Amino acid sequence: MALRVAVFQETPDRLAQFERIMAEAERRVLRIALRLLNNPHDAQDAAQEVFLRLYKQLGRLDEARGYDAWLYRVTVNVCRDIARKRPQAVALEDAPEPREHQPDLEFAERREIMQRALGRLGEKERAAVVLRDVEGLSTREVAQILGSTETTVRSQISTARLKLRDFTSRLLRRR
Amino acid sequence: MSCANWKTEIALYAGGDLGSDAAGVEAHLSECAECRALLAELQEDRALLGELQEEPVVDALAAQVRRRVMAQVRVGRAWPAVWKLALAAALVLAAILAFPRHARKEGHVARMKAPPAVEPVRPAAPPAIVPAAHRVRRRQRRAPVERAQAPRPGPPLLVQFVTDDPEIVIYWLVDQKPEGD
Repeated sequence: MALRVAVFQETPDRLAQFERIMAEAERRVLRIALRLLNNPHDAQDAAQEVFLRLYKQLGRLDEARGYDAWLYRVTVNVCRDIARKRPQAVALEDAPEPREHQPDLEFAERREIMQRALGRLGEKERAAVVLRDVEGLSTREVAQILGSTETTVRSQISTARLKLRDFTSRLLRRR
Repeated sequence: MSCANWKTEIALYAGGDLGSDAAGVEAHLSECAECRALLAELQEDRALLGELQEEPVVDALAAQVRRRVMAQVRVGRAWPAVWKLALAAALVLAAILAFPRHARKEGHVARMKAPPAVEPVRPAAPPAIVPAAHRVRRRQRRAPVERAQAPRPGPPLLVQFVTDDPEIVIYWLVDQKPEGD
């Protein structure tokens, strides 16, 4: 019922504030969703859900503290929910070959391999390494977003980096 | 400690996540070429991961998301008008539920015709100048018919609901139980 009351209290200022926050954060939210879900349609669905939640919560969030931590946390949670409704990720050994075989790997192809490798990680390891190595957040920030300890996050990051190295080197050896 | 045992530490060291615990790893790296090669590969991977921030398709995807979100938000902004109707409907429902059950008969629910001025139809009182003998004759003629008919219902009750919106007024006509029951 409180939510409905919030809808009644809609004002042009609130809508303008929401549009401003969305313009600032939409690329970041989508980028994380793309890395976590590895599918543009799922990433769009996730981003849409994140911003609709933001709109509903706008009056209750502390503007002075900023929306970044909230956005990161909700994005990870929404992506996790979407990923759980999908078929499980393919195991490293079962991963299909890259599309084309070229003697020299171009940057775009190495990038594609890395993206595919990210998709093979477990959801917690993937979230930790995306926030730490792609988004450049500190270990402490990642721990806060994931609701975990720094020790756990460091362990997840270490495991994720080694798995990524293992996967990319396997693909390179096949060439 | 073998190289395999150093891997976890090296993976953290590659991202600067070891802090003050880095001295042991650095000592091992200084004397192990294989682990130095692993470190170089891990650092290359990190650089590539950082490059993933530059995603060329994000702008196009973001524009679509923005359109979808704003469309839904605008629908949400139209809710107050819908709520007025919902409130009116809820009032009607509440009135139906609150009205005494025995006053409602099956097949005689409220008729929602155009709201006329409700004037209960009552038979005109007989004029006082009619001779008593004539009244007796009329009563005798009509008596069998009245016995066969159901008791006359009372005048219908007109319930008027006024909402916040002056254009929305709800009228409800309710049959009342027969007089004398």
